[in-house]
Amino acid sequence: MSVALVAVPAWTQSSAPPLKIGWLAALTGPNSTPGIGQDRGIRYAADQINKASGVMGRKIEIVSRDTQGDPTKAVNAALEVINNDKVEFTIGPTNSGECLATQPVIARYKVPSFPIGVVDSLIDTVKFPYSFRVSNNNTQWQESVLSYALKVLKAKKIGIIGDTTGYGTMSVNLSEQLLKAQGATITYKGLVEASQTDVMADLRKAQSSGAEVMVVWTDSAGLNSRLMNARAELNWNVPFVGHPVLGAGAVKPLLAKPENWKNVYNVGYRPMSFDDNGKLPEKSQKFVDTVSSAGVRLDDTMLWWVGLGVDTIQLIKDTVEAAKSSKADDVKRVLEAGKTFNGVYCTSCTYSPTNHNGYPTDDVVMNRADSFRAGAYAIAPGYGK
Amino acid sequence: MLVTILVAGIAIGAIYAMIGLSYNMMYSTSKVVSFTPGQLGMIGAVFGAWFIGVLEVPLWLGFLGAMGVAVAYGFFTELVAVRPVLKSIEQHLYVLTTLAAALMIQQVVAIWWGTDPRPFPTLFGLGAGLASEKYWLPVVACFLAFIGLELFYRKTLWGAAFIAVAEDAEASRALGIPDVRIRVVSYCLAGFIGALAGFMGGQLLLAFFALGATLTFYGFVPIAMGGIGSNRGALIGGFFLGILQQAANYFVGGVFVGVVTFAVFITLLLLVPRGLFGSAVARRV
Amino acid sequence: MMPTGLEAIASTDLPPLTRQRPRALWAAAAVIGLAVLLPAGVNQYWMQIGTLAFVYWVLIAGLDLIIGYAGQLAVGFVGLLAIGAYTASILCEKASWPAFAALAAAGAAGALFGFLVGLPSLRLKGFYFAMTTLGFSTIVTQVALGWERLTGGGIGLPGPMFPAPLDSPVGFYYLALGMALLATYLLRNVAFSNFGRGLVAVRDAEVAAEAMGVPITRLKLVTFTLSGILAGMAGALFAARQTYITPDAFTFDLSVLFFIMVLIGGRGRIVGPMIGTLILTLLPEIAAPLVMWSNFLYAVLLLLVVLIVPGGIAAFLERLFVKTAKGEGLDAPAPERLNAVLGQHASPKVLTLQGVALHFGGVRALDGVDVAVRPGTVHGLIGPNGSGKTTLLNAVSGFYAANSGRIVFGEADLAARPSADRAALGIARTFQTPRVVGNLSVLENAMLGAYRQFTTSFPAVALGSRHGVIEDRAIRQRAADALAAVGLRRLAHLRAEQLQHTEQRFLEIARCLVMQPSILLLDEPAAGLSHDEIEHLQALIEHIRSLGVAILLVEHHADLVFQVSDEVTVLDVGRVLAHGAPAEVRINPEVINAYLGA
Repeated sequence: MSVALVAVPAWTQSSAPPLKIGWLAALTGPNSTPGIGQDRGIRYAADQINKASGVMGRKIEIVSRDTQGDPTKAVNAALEVINNDKVEFTIGPTNSGECLATQPVIARYKVPSFPIGVVDSLIDTVKFPYSFRVSNNNTQWQESVLSYALKVLKAKKIGIIGDTTGYGTMSVNLSEQLLKAQGATITYKGLVEASQTDVMADLRKAQSSGAEVMVVWTDSAGLNSRLMNARAELNWNVPFVGHPVLGAGAVKPLLAKPENWKNVYNVGYRPMSFDDNGKLPEKSQKFVDTVSSAGVRLDDTMLWWVGLGVDTIQLIKDTVEAAKSSKADDVKRVLEAGKTFNGVYCTSCTYSPTNHNGYPTDDVVMNRADSFRAGAYAIAPGYGK
Repeated sequence: MLVTILVAGIAIGAIYAMIGLSYNMMYSTSKVVSFTPGQLGMIGAVFGAWFIGVLEVPLWLGFLGAMGVAVAYGFFTELVAVRPVLKSIEQHLYVLTTLAAALMIQQVVAIWWGTDPRPFPTLFGLGAGLASEKYWLPVVACFLAFIGLELFYRKTLWGAAFIAVAEDAEASRALGIPDVRIRVVSYCLAGFIGALAGFMGGQLLLAFFALGATLTFYGFVPIAMGGIGSNRGALIGGFFLGILQQAANYFVGGVFVGVVTFAVFITLLLLVPRGLFGSAVARRV
Repeated sequence: MMPTGLEAIASTDLPPLTRQRPRALWAAAAVIGLAVLLPAGVNQYWMQIGTLAFVYWVLIAGLDLIIGYAGQLAVGFVGLLAIGAYTASILCEKASWPAFAALAAAGAAGALFGFLVGLPSLRLKGFYFAMTTLGFSTIVTQVALGWERLTGGGIGLPGPMFPAPLDSPVGFYYLALGMALLATYLLRNVAFSNFGRGLVAVRDAEVAAEAMGVPITRLKLVTFTLSGILAGMAGALFAARQTYITPDAFTFDLSVLFFIMVLIGGRGRIVGPMIGTLILTLLPEIAAPLVMWSNFLYAVLLLLVVLIVPGGIAAFLERLFVKTAKGEGLDAPAPERLNAVLGQHASPKVLTLQGVALHFGGVRALDGVDVAVRPGTVHGLIGPNGSGKTTLLNAVSGFYAANSGRIVFGEADLAARPSADRAALGIARTFQTPRVVGNLSVLENAMLGAYRQFTTSFPAVALGSRHGVIEDRAIRQRAADALAAVGLRRLAHLRAEQLQHTEQRFLEIARCLVMQPSILLLDEPAAGLSHDEIEHLQALIEHIRSLGVAILLVEHHADLVFQVSDEVTVLDVGRVLAHGAPAEVRINPEVINAYLGA
């Protein structure tokens, strides 16, 4: 049956029930920086869509809850937005620890969800059939970092260092596993408390072990900067490769000298990277121009966070319109049908019945950490093109 | 290798020792073991960074500013968290009130300053590498504080009054010594010493809201080991802890350093509850 | 606490406990009824918040015993929650245990670690103990983070899943409610028992508790163990409610929150902390916009509660609902009630001190003292201040160890025994400054005297053993008789801190009588008493003597001593100056010189 091309009068449009989307994010407290960036993208996208015709005539209503990085608060918030506000979609939480707790809870209510955590096990077509990921997963980050170390930097002896948080320990162990599987030698593996003030001893150990590349997995700007400063003090010109926060704006003022930021490669995204000519891909540049003129700040956050927020909202809109319904099963069917969504951050996002991770692996690339400009980075040398 | 451990260990140890001196100062006139010394260190680091790094006032002014905030906080602690509960000291209610006071300042700073560690400005720009001022500034400050306190207690009338109030507040009052005023002064002084630790150690610690909790614990270990009330014990304990921590980080590393530190600390505390230099238990009956 | 049911104490046949609190019972029934009906009236979100409150309450019930009753500042309790949560989750996930077995195992793990957490409390107080609990909780979260193979490290692991129909939100709600009720039952049984009284005594008047023979170490440890069991089970339920646990769920802030829940409710109460738990679980949900400030507000709340309402919600409610009668002074004593208290139970033993010497540093407080006190006699001990009278009493009751000489009571050599054993041997004493437990009622204070005679075990009491109830009733009756005997009948239901100084002295004596001692050591009991009250005291002492109890009376009121004693010993600078019948000693010139005056 074809869609009836009937012009819908304006007054009926405004009485359509709003499309409520739950947004669970750590907006305050530690680890709130990503959430703040994503929040900007989500609200911008929702505003733009509402200014136009909404989603099938329905206005998007963002029901936001600050979870502060606490899994218990996150679970309560998920229960609240689903039971009290009756949201039809959820985005977030923004920390893996919170997501691990909320995924089973949200799944029980059959609400389509888009968690923003990298841990691989968050997405599982059997356990969480209505859950889809727009951002990358941990394996994609690891593969990008490790293949850069092995193939581009051509290192055979690798040192791995991370912080003692859950994410850090897990990432360090995962790197060790993957590297060993690829035949690399791990000469140093260390865990440092994120609040440890002096890391000279740890780096010296790594240095004397003969590491040719240091893989760094910590999302603490403080620790990252201290590692770089210590590296400089040791006069050790080893490349650092790892977590996006290696290049975060918060790192810059903590560096003893600006040149300490050289030879540091943080994992990033091709759509959000400047090419060798210093230009963003056209679509991304247009995006930057549009959101900047709408007042969205980019210089104190990362472009991909904002883009992720925008893409997720847009994906929901496109899916609901394609399914002509916001019911969970219809949404699931449409997403799994495999149509590619072309976002600004997730440029070709595809799902299937057996895969709910949408981000294309090839788009996960390494950036030069010291090239931060308006939320984006230059692509690291060695990628060609 | 070993030189780094020593240098870093002594530097951080000096910070811990000064926090210990702050504990002792508060204890000396009130018999209260407070939860706030670590927060005083945090205030020194954060406000030092704010005045000098963000507002860009001259060094001496920033120093006074940071110390001023800490002294005010010490005054607040005595007034609100200690004085009201001194009458029922056997119930140890001061543990709860000083904990509350510590949490309050920590949360306020977290909200205002942010939860990421922010840079602490270079103060004088002296030295580089292992001879950098960030390593020896805390040590110098620590010794100055220690010597200053020794002179204060032994040579000045005020110092003698402090000791009197510490031994027997009621008797001191009967002698005409203004014990309340002395206690207030001691808490302000403790504020100064604690903040000094954070200010001089700021380049090592960074301006971080969560410093308070870390320093409260690691500043307490020297006190527990050396016996509360003993400044000498605080110094020795502090340096020992600092070096031990750096060595453990280097040789063992990772999560279990924290676990081992805590476990050793608890064991020590059980074996020598009064500390190695501590005073004997008072008569009960 | 207890209503002012004056009628209740007048009759010798005391009504059972439940009938004394009809109001409280109705309130409890109403609350339980509400809780049972809740799922029908609200959506799943509010129901799940209720579930969380129940889970927290299981832990808080145990923590209430530790902080509220035992007075130990266990600030870092979240570690036990984590241990329970991880134990249950690991057993279910990695070893495929059924959920209820895992729940029991979590309780067992909690028992073990609760015990370990309690050990430092034996040597450390206040801040020091608080620090060790914080250290413990930090260790637990660090181990959970680091021992990846077992706990999943930072990724954590799924929580236990209970069998249908308990795995649905509604089913689990009722499971949590059931556990909360069970926890309340256990808490109530312990709190209102001998053990509850003993805990409060240890908390507020440790020296007196020791003199009553309360085994402080054992009592503290067993309390910590029970709290550990509850916390462990709460942890398992918590993991099931969350369906997935990671180390970052067990934060220091949660520890502080638990702490506040107990304090805001009121130490040593049950209903208060229950309300506190409900309020503080609900608050973050209602005050969502303030979530950024939540930790700050908790700290402010903690400060306010300690400073302004130290008794918590319970004290506040009490002030509203329960009238407190003012103390009306002593009755005429009814010594004939003593027969019911002491009966034939005083086993005659002789107290002998031979050559007892005790010095503090250079001071010889006792310098070779010989005293003998025979059953059924009053032995007066007088002398100037500093002559060693109180020191001698402290030596007999075990607070000081003699440096040389022997102290023998009956067949037992007291030197080898710790002070807590004196009560078991039948030695009871009063103190120069009355040491009563202010927060307990006068009746409950008196009941403390029989602590050692209570035979029902802690676990049996917790589970509500009938035997325990019967024993409690018997001791309550004995205490009522003792109070009537000393003239405190009408004041039985007041809090001991509401008594006047002189009334507290008589309360101490009543407490000693409940112990059914073989010897009664009285430390200046007449100090501050009016003429009438001294007459009462004398009559009381004479009647106690007639029932075969030995009495060692340290006093400054020479008249009283000479009138009532069978023998008198005079001490001076730690030595016996004179000894003999009152008439002889009274006219002894050395005694007159040193002490009595012309």
